[in-house]
Amino acid sequence: MATNVYLPEPMRIVRRFNLISDVRFFQVRPLAMDRALSLDYLPGQFMIVSLPGIGEAPFSISSTPSRPGLIEFGIRNVGVLTEQLFKLKENEIIGVRGPYGNGFPISKFEKKDLIIVVGGLGAVPLRSLLLYTLDNRDRFGKIYFLYGARRPNEMLFLNEFLELKGRDDLNCLLSVDKDDTGKWTENVGVVTTLFKHLKGINPNNTYATVCGPPVMYKFVIDELLKLGIPKHQILMTLERRMHCGVGKCGHCVIGSIYTCMDGPVFSHWDVLHMKDLI
Amino acid sequence: MKVLKLQKRNLNSYLESLRVFGEIYGPVRKDEKYIYGQLDDLDKLDLRMLRTILPVKKFLVPPKFNTFSFEGYTYKPELEKIPRRVIFGVHPCEIHGLLILDKFFLERFPDPYYQERRKNTAILGLSCVPDEKCFAKSTGTHFVESGFDLAFNELQDFYLVWVGSSLGDDLVRLRLDLFEEDIKERDLHEYMKWRSWRDSQYKLKLDMTGMPDIMELNYNSPIWKKFGDKDLSCGACSMVCPTCPCYNVRDQLKPVGNSGERQRHWDSCMFKPFAVVAGGHNFRENRAERVKLWYTHKLKAFITEFGKPACVGCGRCIDTCPVDINIKTVVTALKGV
Amino acid sequence: MPEKPKAGFYNLSGCSGCLLTILNCEDQILDIFNGANIVSFLMANSANIEKDLDIAFIDGSVTTDEQEEFVKELRARTKKIVCLGVCSCYGGVQAMEYEKNTWSARFKKVYGTKPPTITKPFESRPVDAFVPVDYYLPGCPIDANQFLYNYARLLRGLPVDIPKTPVCLECKWRENECLLLKNIMCLGPVTATGCNARCPSVNLPCVGCFGPADEGNLTSEFNLLKEKGFSFPEIERKLRMFGGVKFVNKFKTMWKKVKK
Repeated sequence: MATNVYLPEPMRIVRRFNLISDVRFFQVRPLAMDRALSLDYLPGQFMIVSLPGIGEAPFSISSTPSRPGLIEFGIRNVGVLTEQLFKLKENEIIGVRGPYGNGFPISKFEKKDLIIVVGGLGAVPLRSLLLYTLDNRDRFGKIYFLYGARRPNEMLFLNEFLELKGRDDLNCLLSVDKDDTGKWTENVGVVTTLFKHLKGINPNNTYATVCGPPVMYKFVIDELLKLGIPKHQILMTLERRMHCGVGKCGHCVIGSIYTCMDGPVFSHWDVLHMKDLI
Repeated sequence: MKVLKLQKRNLNSYLESLRVFGEIYGPVRKDEKYIYGQLDDLDKLDLRMLRTILPVKKFLVPPKFNTFSFEGYTYKPELEKIPRRVIFGVHPCEIHGLLILDKFFLERFPDPYYQERRKNTAILGLSCVPDEKCFAKSTGTHFVESGFDLAFNELQDFYLVWVGSSLGDDLVRLRLDLFEEDIKERDLHEYMKWRSWRDSQYKLKLDMTGMPDIMELNYNSPIWKKFGDKDLSCGACSMVCPTCPCYNVRDQLKPVGNSGERQRHWDSCMFKPFAVVAGGHNFRENRAERVKLWYTHKLKAFITEFGKPACVGCGRCIDTCPVDINIKTVVTALKGV
Repeated sequence: MPEKPKAGFYNLSGCSGCLLTILNCEDQILDIFNGANIVSFLMANSANIEKDLDIAFIDGSVTTDEQEEFVKELRARTKKIVCLGVCSCYGGVQAMEYEKNTWSARFKKVYGTKPPTITKPFESRPVDAFVPVDYYLPGCPIDANQFLYNYARLLRGLPVDIPKTPVCLECKWRENECLLLKNIMCLGPVTATGCNARCPSVNLPCVGCFGPADEGNLTSEFNLLKEKGFSFPEIERKLRMFGGVKFVNKFKTMWKKVKK
């Protein structure tokens, strides 16, 4: 018989630390080295974390398949499962299934310019894409990374992104709605205020990816459309309730599609066409 | 496909012989309704049944079952305990329901629990005569070509029996002596006469062609609020629908130790918490949105995905909803007639 | 191995059927007593110790001064209070006339003009009318499986998890014919499930003992019952019987609308 897709694979927590006050970074790996190295996935895919006796929930992968061996998540403590997850320490075991979902259509991005727009926790899946493109830098055109958070202490991977500002093959733009530290040296304003730094965009040769809180999408997409980027080249990753990850439990259904299999990455055209996506 | 004849007087003897395969189930009476019940005694078999309360899906995806037991991170999938069963008396619309579930559970990411149960369940179809709630002719699900192991078509004195699978052939061979292999021309005539008579018995007609387009036109229609206000959110429609597969998962722990079971049980998108994500946001807060989703999925999504609606015309929703929200009233309202 | 949580089981005004339901779990009784350090459980043990608790289970409603004092004292020394059954959750059948101002007359009718002297009685109210309650396991009595599931969760510090969906869900799993379709006044669609549809499965209509389902559509249920010829007082009486205080509070505004 085929393998049982519902059985979680035990993985060991290698590192964990808080990214911000309520979001924790988890770096995990399968117990066997060969499995750890062969576990492949795409940026934009997710996995289901499973604690026996507690339950399961989907989480975006934050690491890049170009650095095999370790899987990374950025998890916000919002529910019963995550509360238990936060109690676990390094070297403890968690169950993981997947990867699931369509992920970003990386092959379509080849030779194209890329605008990655992030709000808040959206940095988790889009960090995967960003790191992947940087690890395969010669396959892509110009890369813009625009990240907006409410305050400096709510920005995930802040030091990592500040470091990336030093690269000359990446345009890394960070912004906070409000600086309450007095030490913020980057832009202040909502993420759309960063768009003024995008100069000389060739829209037909550009893909944009967006992930953030629901309120952000409309404003960001308006900006991207103003730049002339075609609707099907604007991609976003969406969130829904899921129990299975494999198109069976039905909780992630939106109209005609299952977010877990047909998504979580959708184009702006999908959103207009299928309704109810956001 | 092989077709055989079985005299009606031999039915019980034949069914009795199937016990070597597994437990036998068939329509039995429950109060004023019918259910698929275990036939330890074949006298309980009641072929007057038109529709059972729950469809045959209850054997393939039980309302509640354990997917695996666990002790820490050691899992034991509960696949071994799945019994072998023969279900007799499954009507064509129901078999079409199974074909939809097959697509759903066996294509992308095959579900091992469904797979195992499907393998261990022999489906013995039986022809039917519709009542005023059946509209399988409208959905094109009143005849079957596949999805069964044996299909019995009742005529005056005998059944024509179609052998639909290798397992079906094995089952026939258990008592080949009871079957006649020689189908005569007058049998064909009797069958054709029965077909046209039965076709004429479909009083309820629900034309579902072009439903995706009609659904789109009704996206902002006030009918959804009207149905939403009435909707009891009881979820009964989802439970009785042969093609509703949605489920919920929960872990049952033992009070001591780290062992327990992961359970799966039927859920319905008609329930408010169905689309709630961690943090509390509900993607379908209103009843109207939930009713709309249910019908969008039946009448539009499935057509996009599988080429046909996820309605097989069995009439269970018509028979079950206490407040008359069913495929008949909704399709009628959608068409504005 | 972390220390076992300290638990106590208490009974106020009610039939104690919920506590009995727990003691009747014969196959799991050892697990129940092994899973926690049960320091007080009058129905099961005569040598009880009253001290600080991690979890207190309360069966029965509050109907006297003495009980009010007790729940306040218990609250002060307990981390999580769990109400067991419709009496402690919603006031019980004894609260079905809640806010109708008929209590004094009824009390006089039963006890005469000379009131009892031990403690001062008042109209039955649920525990949360006096102290904050962490979790509710409703029912008359509670469902043993729902208790065991949640007991195992509580022992590990997990929150109680009870379905918000109506009785009809489990009723259909058990393949019962809908009683509403037989013109019987069944409260299944507006009542929380978790009981395994215990009444409809023996052809008795649901009387609502698990309390209002969070998402029950009372307006539609009410209209349906009216169509079937039931009168407003009949319906209200049925809904109040077990829904008690919770019913009155939850549907206060909506009920007035329906009334018109």
